[in-house]
Amino acid sequence: MPVNLALGHVSTDFLIAALMIYSLAVLAFAGDFAFGRPKRGAEASRTQVRARAGALATVGASGSPSADSGTAGGGDASVPTSMPPVPLSPLRAIMAAGPWVRAGMALSSAGVLAHAIAVVTRGLAVHRAPWGNMYEFITALTCFAAIFFLWVMVRYRAWALGVFVMGAVVVILGLAETLIYTAAGTLVPALQSYWLSIHVTAMTVATGVFFVAAALGVIYLVVDRYNRRVAAGKAQGGNGIIARLPSLEQLDRLAYRTVVFGFPVWTFGVIAGAIWADEAWGRYWGWDPVETWAFITWVVYAAFLHARATAGWRGRRAHYVQILGFVTLAFNIMVVQVFITGMHSYAGVG
Amino acid sequence: MPVPRPKRKYVVLAAAACAAVLAVVLSVSAFSSGGGDVTYLDGSTTAFMYDTGHQPLAPDFSGATLTGTPVALSSYRGKVVVLNFWGSWCVACRSEAPTLSVVAEQEQRKGVSFLGVDIQDTNANALAFDKNHDVIYPSVSDPSELVVLKFSSVVPIAATPTTLVIDRTGHIAAMIGGAASYSELTSVLAKVTEAS
Amino acid sequence: MTDLRPAPEVDDQPAIPVPDATFGVCDWLRWAWRQLTSMRIALILLFLLALGSVPGSMLPQEGTNAAGVAQYYKSHPTLAPLLNHLGMFNVFGAPWFAAIYLLLFASLVGCVVPRTFKLAGSARTLPPRAPRNIGRLPHSATYATSLPPGPALEVSAGMLGGHGFRMRHSGDGERWISAEKGYLREAGNLLFHLSLLGILVSIALGGLFGYKADKLLVAGATFTDTQSDLDEIYPGRLVTDSDFAPFSIKLDSFSASYVQSGPQLGQPSAFNADVSYTTSPGAPVKTDDIQVNSPLSIDGAKVYLIGHGYAPIFKVTSASGQPEYNQAQPFIAGTSGDFLSQGVVKVPDATPEGLGFSGVFVPTAAVSPDGTLESVFPAAANPRVSLIAYGGNLGMNSGPTQSVYELDMAGLKQLAAQPHVLSQGQTWKLPDGKGSITFVGYQQWASFAITHDPGQLPALICGMGALGGLLLSFLVRRRRVFVRVAAAPSGSGSVVRFGGLARTDASGGFEAEFASLAAELRAAHEQQAPQQETGD
Repeated sequence: MPVNLALGHVSTDFLIAALMIYSLAVLAFAGDFAFGRPKRGAEASRTQVRARAGALATVGASGSPSADSGTAGGGDASVPTSMPPVPLSPLRAIMAAGPWVRAGMALSSAGVLAHAIAVVTRGLAVHRAPWGNMYEFITALTCFAAIFFLWVMVRYRAWALGVFVMGAVVVILGLAETLIYTAAGTLVPALQSYWLSIHVTAMTVATGVFFVAAALGVIYLVVDRYNRRVAAGKAQGGNGIIARLPSLEQLDRLAYRTVVFGFPVWTFGVIAGAIWADEAWGRYWGWDPVETWAFITWVVYAAFLHARATAGWRGRRAHYVQILGFVTLAFNIMVVQVFITGMHSYAGVG
Repeated sequence: MPVPRPKRKYVVLAAAACAAVLAVVLSVSAFSSGGGDVTYLDGSTTAFMYDTGHQPLAPDFSGATLTGTPVALSSYRGKVVVLNFWGSWCVACRSEAPTLSVVAEQEQRKGVSFLGVDIQDTNANALAFDKNHDVIYPSVSDPSELVVLKFSSVVPIAATPTTLVIDRTGHIAAMIGGAASYSELTSVLAKVTEAS
Repeated sequence: MTDLRPAPEVDDQPAIPVPDATFGVCDWLRWAWRQLTSMRIALILLFLLALGSVPGSMLPQEGTNAAGVAQYYKSHPTLAPLLNHLGMFNVFGAPWFAAIYLLLFASLVGCVVPRTFKLAGSARTLPPRAPRNIGRLPHSATYATSLPPGPALEVSAGMLGGHGFRMRHSGDGERWISAEKGYLREAGNLLFHLSLLGILVSIALGGLFGYKADKLLVAGATFTDTQSDLDEIYPGRLVTDSDFAPFSIKLDSFSASYVQSGPQLGQPSAFNADVSYTTSPGAPVKTDDIQVNSPLSIDGAKVYLIGHGYAPIFKVTSASGQPEYNQAQPFIAGTSGDFLSQGVVKVPDATPEGLGFSGVFVPTAAVSPDGTLESVFPAAANPRVSLIAYGGNLGMNSGPTQSVYELDMAGLKQLAAQPHVLSQGQTWKLPDGKGSITFVGYQQWASFAITHDPGQLPALICGMGALGGLLLSFLVRRRRVFVRVAAAPSGSGSVVRFGGLARTDASGGFEAEFASLAAELRAAHEQQAPQQETGD
């Protein structure tokens, strides 16, 4: 079937629209930093609850006099009823977070919608999964990253991170649009397989998710460094931006959960790739350069998951490992696939 | 510092499991493939005679010679046959050719037949080879090795050239993988003609 | 102090004793084993594995790119032998690389086996007693109900049992339940690690009993799956002749389609290799269309289309008209995609002396301003060859095996100063009565990979096992909840205290789960409460 060039142009138009809307969203999130209300009370209380939970994980069997043993007085009414708080619905939480956050979230959602339409129309224009070359791959992976991060912001109320993560999405998408734009076209026979949709989809989704994790890791390291400088007396406390960010513990948990989501997807992508390689090249694993680097990335993320369970490796060092994982992934995409000849040389760049 | 009992049990079990895995991965590689029932010539690993009673029956084949004459192996029954797999492109076959020509001339007088099987070749190239090397016996044209395929279920043909000696009853008595030497071939033929 | 959390999964080993002068051989062995199976060493081995893989992707490897290795030797004559000594051209088969992954797997076994026993043990033992002070747990709830303590506890047990919790009940005198759930988490973790071990064994299985071979086939020709007919064979250690299935395949025709216009001009859009095959000599002939993503399965082996090109047909005759050569000779194209292909023609039996030609084939020719032949399209719309002729000894009557793509120039002299360009059907009469060469036409060739890998299916099953284990260990959380019921101070009804905690909560959400459990428990109590009490 011939490529539908008109639809290809529609896709490009939507992508440019997404890029502009994303930029506005970043401005809105930045506006929240500059002009928004200081740290919300609800968020602060959540942090307190967490801290208490951590401290009291180990309970003394013969501890201090328990608070609830001496409830004097008569009648059921005197028994203090306490039920665990049912979390605020995401929409209400966003509405309560102020106009800048509302604008940022609305713009992000609109941007994601335009971005998704761009990816889908590109797929319809070329009659296949729209990730057959580097330009399409970057476009799709940033789309998945944006969708995933939008979900993270809603689920974990992490809009304070919006300016950084959406900012990174804008930069990468903008670079892809200007440097490696490739018009809609047909695929070489090696890529004409339904495994393209399975293998590359998984790899693209996982890359998007790991991208968010790496951004969270960098923010973690910045906050950690600031905290240590304050502790050492080298910097003054009370930095406005840092105060608005989630706590180190929250950032750590968020990044960990993001990797936990991405790692099985990456594993599945590698397995699907092995099945496809067996179907196309006659071996399921051949240490092709791109395969080798996918393996390296997998090993480094596995090291991160283990590091969190190893004394002396939690926290800062674990996040260095996690960011290293994304560096190997980015190296695979930008250097190995483009400059090193192998069986995965489909980038179509330059 | 004493190690608690259960821990030590785990260590032993773990070591055993680890050893088992290593055994699966590595030890199997110590085996080597090799057939029995043959006697190797002069310590060679690719030239051998089958022991009496273990000679496999040569599969029959028919085809056309390079000049177009029909030929079948079964029509040679009752004679000792030297079957040579070769190609004009093959360096070892070219270096073997003078020896083979000498042995053929000498043995054909004693009633031994020679037949070539020309593989992965074209008739024009092969005929130029025969002319150039004064080859006096016919060759079957086998560009896609269908004859080799029939034989490979019986004898391990891996090299080009390969020479088989077939006795008067149609059984394979010997195989020489690679270029055959004068002494190797004549001594094998002496034994085969004597035995049957 | 009692740790109420579900059993920790890692890093709980007692401190490894520091070696000292009293250490005997056994102590040292035990010390080494415990070092090896510690998480810290596993972490270091993981990093080494990642680091060790890097040269395997940066340097050409013998298995996948032998030509690249030869090229590296030419361009780095002093460095290459040194790197070769370190196994850098065969990283994934090198002893030091094997040492890393075998140590890692030994460490894994040393970690997984004890944990399997621990899991089996914890599935038999009951959860710990409920803490006296439930309010101090990370998550807790307190409320009053008009149900008497006994029935209130029964309702709690019914609710928790309905959710699949494993429960431990208090003895006489006390009223509490402790309950635990999520044992599958650790089972998933173990499944994941054991599956990795299984993948390693599967790869070894394929390496020992499988084979991979290559065959270049000109259209119209047939090949058989025999060791002498295949171009290159990479057999496993335990492969014997009988492992090669006795099939033969004829390439009836090969076709390649290319994009005819637009910015992707010349990019291939489809490859089809039409073949007819028999599974054994004399068996019925079947046909198939082998494509890049659609291999042919025969008798446990698979045949893949991996490359294609042109084979120009040449005819060489002597000065007296005697035919000396007539063959389609495969030429090899570079990586540029324009199918400008190079090859040689060897006529060792030509008279009066051997002839050799080195040539270039272009499928669609255009002559560039400086007079050289250029290829403008990969399909054969206007094929031309350019030949350089040599005469003399081709070195084919003795010595080592020769490549069919190179001439041994030692005994050859160039016959004409200029290369000669021929179009289809044209003949070049060589000088000095050396005969003539005709460019008759061309055939297409296709190259195939033939593989047989008995480890494939086990590897797939283990891969799926690893993924399933991973998902279980990430999605399931190990958590404990506790209920304590006491008589209300007023004398009627009771006070329910409900608490809970999770050991690891990788994907989050225990907070919400606990809230909903607490709400459900309270609702169950209210539903069972006697109605007349409400007005009190």
